[in-house]
Amino acid sequence: MLRKTLVYNNILNKIFQVPDKIVFRWGILFPVLILMCISLITLKYTSVNSSFFSSTFTKQIVWFGLGSFVFVLAQWIRIQYFQEYAFHFYGILIIFIAITYIMPVIGGSQRWVIVGPFSFQPSEVGKLLLVFVIARVLADQKGNMNEIKLLLLILFMALVPALIVFKQPDFGTAIVYGFIALPMLYWSGIRSYYLFSVIAPIISIISAFNIYIFSIWMGVLVMVIYFNQPKITMGVPQFITNIGCGILSPFIWNNFLYSHQKERILTLLNPMRDPHGAGYQVIQSIIAIGSGGIWGKGIGKGTQTQLRYLPVRDTDFIVSVIGEEMGLLGIAVILGVFFTMLYWMIVYAGIISNKFSSLTLIGFASILFIHLIVNMGMTVGLLPVTGLPAPFLSYGGSFLLSCMLILALSTNIVNHHI
Amino acid sequence: MPKFKKVQLVLAGIFTILFFRFYHLQIYQHSKYEEKAGNNSVRKISIHAPRGIIYDRNGIPIVDNRQIYDLAVIPFDVTSQFDYQMVSKQTGVSSSELQEKITRGKESFHRFRPVPIKRHIDFETRSHLEENKLSLPGTIFSEFPARTYPDKAKLTHVLGYLRVVMDMTASIPNQGLEYKLGDVFGFSGIERIYESILRGNDGTEFRLVDIYGIDHGVYQDNPGQQPVPGKALHLSIDSKLQSLIEDLFSGKKGAAICMMPTSGEVLAFVSAPDYDLNSFAGPVPIELWEGWNSDPEKPLINRGIQGLYPPGSTFKLLAAALAKEDGVVDKNWTVNCNGVYTLGDRDFHCWNDAGHGTVNMDEAIYQSCNIYFYQLIQKLSYKNWTGMAEKFKFGVSSGIDLLGEKRGLVPGRSYMNRKYGKWGWATGNLLTFVIGQGDVLVTPVQVAQMMNIIATRGNTKTPHLLLDSPAEKISVSLKPLTWDFLQQSTWDVVNHKEGTGKAAKVIGSEVHGKTGTAQNPHGEDHSWFAGYLVKDNIPILSLAVLVEHGGKGSVEAAIISHEIFKYAQKNVSL
Repeated sequence: MLRKTLVYNNILNKIFQVPDKIVFRWGILFPVLILMCISLITLKYTSVNSSFFSSTFTKQIVWFGLGSFVFVLAQWIRIQYFQEYAFHFYGILIIFIAITYIMPVIGGSQRWVIVGPFSFQPSEVGKLLLVFVIARVLADQKGNMNEIKLLLLILFMALVPALIVFKQPDFGTAIVYGFIALPMLYWSGIRSYYLFSVIAPIISIISAFNIYIFSIWMGVLVMVIYFNQPKITMGVPQFITNIGCGILSPFIWNNFLYSHQKERILTLLNPMRDPHGAGYQVIQSIIAIGSGGIWGKGIGKGTQTQLRYLPVRDTDFIVSVIGEEMGLLGIAVILGVFFTMLYWMIVYAGIISNKFSSLTLIGFASILFIHLIVNMGMTVGLLPVTGLPAPFLSYGGSFLLSCMLILALSTNIVNHHI
Repeated sequence: MPKFKKVQLVLAGIFTILFFRFYHLQIYQHSKYEEKAGNNSVRKISIHAPRGIIYDRNGIPIVDNRQIYDLAVIPFDVTSQFDYQMVSKQTGVSSSELQEKITRGKESFHRFRPVPIKRHIDFETRSHLEENKLSLPGTIFSEFPARTYPDKAKLTHVLGYLRVVMDMTASIPNQGLEYKLGDVFGFSGIERIYESILRGNDGTEFRLVDIYGIDHGVYQDNPGQQPVPGKALHLSIDSKLQSLIEDLFSGKKGAAICMMPTSGEVLAFVSAPDYDLNSFAGPVPIELWEGWNSDPEKPLINRGIQGLYPPGSTFKLLAAALAKEDGVVDKNWTVNCNGVYTLGDRDFHCWNDAGHGTVNMDEAIYQSCNIYFYQLIQKLSYKNWTGMAEKFKFGVSSGIDLLGEKRGLVPGRSYMNRKYGKWGWATGNLLTFVIGQGDVLVTPVQVAQMMNIIATRGNTKTPHLLLDSPAEKISVSLKPLTWDFLQQSTWDVVNHKEGTGKAAKVIGSEVHGKTGTAQNPHGEDHSWFAGYLVKDNIPILSLAVLVEHGGKGSVEAAIISHEIFKYAQKNVSL
């Protein structure tokens, strides 16, 4: 395959290259078009009261246009550049999200870096950078490192930015940072039992809220350890560690969580606890979705939505709007096309032999997946309210741009290798 | 299984779980959440049914409806242009209080919800504010039903007033009717008695309301119900006569009741002093009501049915009727009045210290001689005398369609024994009773009813205010001679040159009457006049007039009665 290289200067050579081919992978892109249609129709009717130019509908169209442009541009990026400079980017990421601590508080949190009239949220694009660095570390392994050590290293690399972001506080993004390492680790061939051992203490902490769930979980834990850990000298301490985590749970609860985070978790367990406060959004969202039925109330006719009982209806709770106005049918379409998109990303990741590229695809798929699941889980009261938007559905320019960038780079990778 | 298949399988599993959560909510629990969504956004709004209009006997409206308004502001819409001074000037709410209310509202979550500023403002105030709408952004008015009294006749105590349901357990008169908080109800008078007729049925409307309480129009799926206005009420009151008497009573205290003797219809009903129902918009403000309540003149008391007075000489007719009926004395039985009568060791006086000389029964009535009756009562049975009083409906409620009527008191033997002990009272007490003093207490409506009975020779009806209502018949049977005598002697009171009721005489008309003076330990005696007017041989108007501290009956009460008869002569007919 002939590769034409640009001969401007060294840096441009490193970053850009003329793509071998530009093929639209419709398994990935077609779902995006459908999701954008659903999103725009919904936004059109949630922003009826604002003028044409200030409406979220118009703005989102502009952002989508911009995103499409970025999508095409991103085809000229030389993807190996991110592999080569992954550690630099990681360093920059840590520095930028640390800088937010000296930035002014906006809406109760410090997530933005503000320079003059411009502001941006480093943790947003940081998700991609974290994927690159984890993919780089895992791809560099030639079986010369102890599996457990590797696992701990990767988790450490993910948890450092996750903790910084958590303290901003931005619980949602922290979950994304913490989560994306896991599928990538699994994809790189780490033993499932080790991953289980890492996740187990977290489940122990969470399940300790309810003594019955904790007991069942301990039973499961004992079984898994028994069948996977041949050495009793390793198994028993592991078990004891998990019990310890459960016992420490109240301590973590009291000392590490912000009051609004505690509130959200308590609300998840019982939304009626505070129907006018923290539980309000979830209750209204569930009512909206439940009242939608199979076919929905009709676009623009949802009483929960149009009469503003549903909060943040064009961003965090846009899925509830869709559930109310388009019913289970709309939800099924969303889940279906999303599944298609992720399905193809996994298929391509399986085909591509280059370890870095394959892992990057898995990482990108994980980002999209965790956003969707946390967002939709929140609207139906399965997961706490974290403020994570739904990819390609929620209104929000920079988030749409980074989602488009994720797909652009995925397409780039796929086109490069296949 | 290849790794990517495993990952896809896990992915599919998680998506399926999520899908079933949605399936559970949207299919399985759909109806539950559909109802909840409806409860959220559909508000049932009550539309006030207009109360029935109240007319007088000639179809002149005396109580009508008008809209008054509640002023509120939506804090969100209030801008810096808002003219606090103007609102303050128009409503009397202080400017700083206004500012505080609005600022607090702006900060609250409910900043789209109206904050009440002033209740019950009238149309003029609203118009003033509406004219300056541009400098009053965010102000809204809501309508509230109120009464207006277009006629000159006030008729205060008869009409009564409305109150707002503040608390469901509080004294709502008609528990059978359904009330909501904020509804108005008739609290006294006609408004209360005929609440079920006047009230009508409130309508309902279902409206879509958003989370801020902003209205989004009628809910199409349920059209609601139209209000049914209350029915009109026609009173037997003659508003011109009413207003005439009210004017005659200006500056005086007392009561006057005019009725149509044959039907018991009340033509006029005055209790003075009264209060002005037009002096407030909407329900009675509590300060105003408390002011009336603590007023030493007691304007809240309806003297016509609640004022208890000794009947004075008007009561002499009872003893006379009994003596005639039982034939105890004849026309020739006379008494010599020298101004004083001694019984045992006590002197009983006639009002005329000089004495009336020799009087027979007729003369004793038209000259109102006490001495004659001191002697007559001793010839009568006490029991029969109280029986005669009961025949003329004293000591029992007249049954007029107003609440709170007092029964008065005709002291019988058992009452006297209870009050004074078996040996604590004697014939001396009877001497005071027969001339309507002492323990005897009556209400003006009872005295007027006595005149109905005399004028119709015992064939009248229960006093009532509602025109064409099936009033209960009253029949008192006495001998024709007794009726003749009562009518003749009451005629003499007014028409004889020595009659005490001469002041009530109307040239060219047949007026009957009896004066009375109610002794009052607290000051000047109360003045009574009770009588009736006959036109074309039919009694067309009976009356009882009581003027507190009016002196002798021949003075104030008879003069007022004269004016009433003069009006009735021209204007009242069956």
